[in-house]
Amino acid sequence: MPPNGELLPPELLARLERLELVSRKIFRGRMKGERRSRRKGQSVEFADFRNYVQGDDLRFIDWNLYARLDKLFLKLFLEEEDLHFYTLIDASASMDFGDPNKLFYARQLAAALGFVGLCRADRVKIETLGTTHRRPGPILRGRHSVWRMIEYLNTVRAGENVSLAEGVKNFCVRNTGKGILVLVTDLMDKSGYETAFRFLVAQEMDVYVVHLLSQEEMDPDVKGDLRLIDCEDADVAEITVSRPLLDRYRRTLAAFINGAREFCTRRGMTYIPANNQIPIERLVTNYLRQRGLVR
Amino acid sequence: MSNFFINTLTAWQWLLLLLVPPAVIALYFLKLKRQPLEVPSTYLWHRTIEDLHVNSLWQRLRQSILLLLQLLVIVLVILAVLRPGWRGATLKGSRFIFLIDNSASMTATDVQPTRLDEAKRRVTELIAQMKSGDVAMVVSFSDRAEIKQPFTDSRQKLRRAVANIKPTHRTSDLDEALRVAASLANPGRTSEEGSGDVRWAEAREADLRIFTDGGFGKVSNFAMGNLEPRYVGIGELDARNVGITAFSTQRNPERPEQLQAYARLENFTEKDIKVTATLTIDGERPDTTDVVLPKNEQGGIEFDLGELETGTLRLTIDNKDDLAVDNLAYAAVNLPRQARVLVITPRNDALTLALSTERSLKLADVSTATPKILDSKDHLKRAAAGNYDLIVYDQCVPREMPQANTLFIGRLPPGDAWKAGKPAGLPQVIDTQRTHPLMRFIDMGNVTIAEGQALDSPPGGTTLIDADIGTLCAVAPRDGSEDCVLGFEIVGQSEDGERYRNTNWFLRYSFPLFVHNVLEYLGGARSVAVTGSAKPGKPMTIRSVAPVNRITVADPAGEQRQIDRQGQSGFIYGYTDDLGVYDVREQGKITQRFSVNLFDPVESDIRPRENIQAGHLDIARQSGWRPMRKELWRYLIIAAIILLGLEWYIYNRRVYL
Repeated sequence: MPPNGELLPPELLARLERLELVSRKIFRGRMKGERRSRRKGQSVEFADFRNYVQGDDLRFIDWNLYARLDKLFLKLFLEEEDLHFYTLIDASASMDFGDPNKLFYARQLAAALGFVGLCRADRVKIETLGTTHRRPGPILRGRHSVWRMIEYLNTVRAGENVSLAEGVKNFCVRNTGKGILVLVTDLMDKSGYETAFRFLVAQEMDVYVVHLLSQEEMDPDVKGDLRLIDCEDADVAEITVSRPLLDRYRRTLAAFINGAREFCTRRGMTYIPANNQIPIERLVTNYLRQRGLVR
Repeated sequence: MSNFFINTLTAWQWLLLLLVPPAVIALYFLKLKRQPLEVPSTYLWHRTIEDLHVNSLWQRLRQSILLLLQLLVIVLVILAVLRPGWRGATLKGSRFIFLIDNSASMTATDVQPTRLDEAKRRVTELIAQMKSGDVAMVVSFSDRAEIKQPFTDSRQKLRRAVANIKPTHRTSDLDEALRVAASLANPGRTSEEGSGDVRWAEAREADLRIFTDGGFGKVSNFAMGNLEPRYVGIGELDARNVGITAFSTQRNPERPEQLQAYARLENFTEKDIKVTATLTIDGERPDTTDVVLPKNEQGGIEFDLGELETGTLRLTIDNKDDLAVDNLAYAAVNLPRQARVLVITPRNDALTLALSTERSLKLADVSTATPKILDSKDHLKRAAAGNYDLIVYDQCVPREMPQANTLFIGRLPPGDAWKAGKPAGLPQVIDTQRTHPLMRFIDMGNVTIAEGQALDSPPGGTTLIDADIGTLCAVAPRDGSEDCVLGFEIVGQSEDGERYRNTNWFLRYSFPLFVHNVLEYLGGARSVAVTGSAKPGKPMTIRSVAPVNRITVADPAGEQRQIDRQGQSGFIYGYTDDLGVYDVREQGKITQRFSVNLFDPVESDIRPRENIQAGHLDIARQSGWRPMRKELWRYLIIAAIILLGLEWYIYNRRVYL
């Protein structure tokens, strides 16, 4: 599937540069990043004092205070750390629909968020559900990696027939670290999304589920007697389109969305409904901002 | 249940029709090739239709709603073709003759709107019941029969023919209608065996249905042959009617200058009725009289008209009954008209005396001549030109018959038409034809005749005086004129020139009366009291006042027709269908009027008869009319059309239930 255009247009880049990824949880980054950690650590920014206890690093004792007060105090500094930012893209065949293409939209979103992360020196990792441990996605860090990221995204093709649960499980096994996970998927998995989400809950990541639907799925424009063929498993559903049927479909879709939202909310995940008609810029700068993923 | 449906199609038509539903179903399944459409996932769709599967039968019905609608339309059409209905007998037979009475009594309103409309409605219903292949014809009859539609299987033509039947004011006579029906129903009867060009049709049975109230006399000398008659009585048995059955004017016998009008009213109901009769003269001077008519009785009323010379009388009775046409009568009073009479006689004092009475002088302008005139060219010309109404030949004979009515006394007209036996002595008068206008009030019992001849009149003649030797006096028509011949002389002349009396008739009162009758009837003279009246539909003979060859007659509606003279007897006017007063114009001036009135007690008695007699058959009235089948097919067709529209709408708009 050729990309429906540029993943990151320059004007979008300009707006994204001003954003940063936010995590609601405290993570321990492996490397120092640009981000002030809530943990105290080694940096130039002073945070607090505390009494010395045996075993503390002598280097952080404030000798000036010792001289004045004859007591040992330890200087605490704010830690600066990096953030692990994961984007998990559902590249199943069902994503290869819509205009713009849902997968393209997902890639665009991944690129935009990844760009935000890279700009802030976060650790960005983009994978698809079908990524195996043999060919893991690249780990990116720093602005210079933007082009690697885009190159990688351009290689993402639809048609990975991996169930949502299996893909998420594989991801969790491979990526044990904590961080932010943005899962972009249409949730169109016949075995359901619940198992997959439970894996994510166990991961204790800051999980954002972007539920991406195409306009055709939200409001089907179909007529007549149809034989609907599932593009993933060639499953067939015969329908005769009628107004009550369409109404019922919309109710089913709404129930599906509500069910997913409720499932996510109860488990501390953020559910973000999206459709391919929302410009990516608005999604990132408005919707995700409101949800607290970026700021 | 077998009555519930009527088959209207033949077997192969049914086959075609019944092939349609399988064809529709086949076409539907051929058509129902669901279009494949690839979708991201059928996940939501399955979940959507899972709910629907709960009531899957209904869902299936909904999915194939177009098919169902189409099948329903076909079923409705098939049902409509079966013509479901209930009540009412089916029409049996294959050939029908509908005789519809449109005489005056059929305008009665005891059946709403009128009896004729009811009859037409029933016939239309019967026509609607005809199966394909059935033939029928429609004949309307009053005093004459009219074939409205010969045998046809076109229901539309039959319906149109029935709709075109208009009410008339005529009397009824079933005889002609039956003969017409019989001749058309049994065509073989009229053709001659062996003649090549006459089509020989095999006589077939036909169902004869007579829609009438039975207001006519017995039809004698008629055999139904292949006809199966049924008398469908139209009208309520308790129909009420009071009618005027006679209306005329006469001189007051005590004061001859005074005119009186007489009317006879008849009550055709089962209770006594008081009616108010109103007479107007030229629409003015209303005169009202009350009269009580006992049940089933008649009563007379009279009005004094005073000294009335001319005018139009209109008599109405204000009784609310079921027949309106006989609540109204007209009479016309005309100026007297003098007959132009020429008497050619050597000498006949008795005749001359009878012609010179005051009464006769009023009636006629009599000129007398001797037989010598018979040879004069002037007379021949005048006689041939019709200048005289009546020429009396006493003891003489012209060479050619004149263009006039004639009375021959003791001689035979020239030509071979009249024949006479040998003169016989003292013939004894046996009888006189008193109903003939010439013999009105004539009593010949005291008349002695010395010598007379038995007469043999030409065809169409009427014997007036019958004697032991044969006919002594007769009248016979000739080219629009009439000739009356007396077979005996009144005054004779012997060979030696001596006059003698042949009879003592001229000493009796009956002689001047006879002369008077001759002047009135043969001379066409009209005393003031005699008003011309005709029955509706019957031709009216009009004698012009002046010797003109063309008159104009205006009917009550004002329509004018020009009539040419037809022979000496005058003008024959045949358009007397409307009741009322007709004006006769000669050279632009109204010279006389005549009226057309129903005046028929049989027609006015509108109570439907229990049976009608035709030949030896007594056809009983069909008891009650079984109401017409309530037909459903129209509603079925309408429903089918609505369904078709609904289907079209659903198909085009994709609006589903």
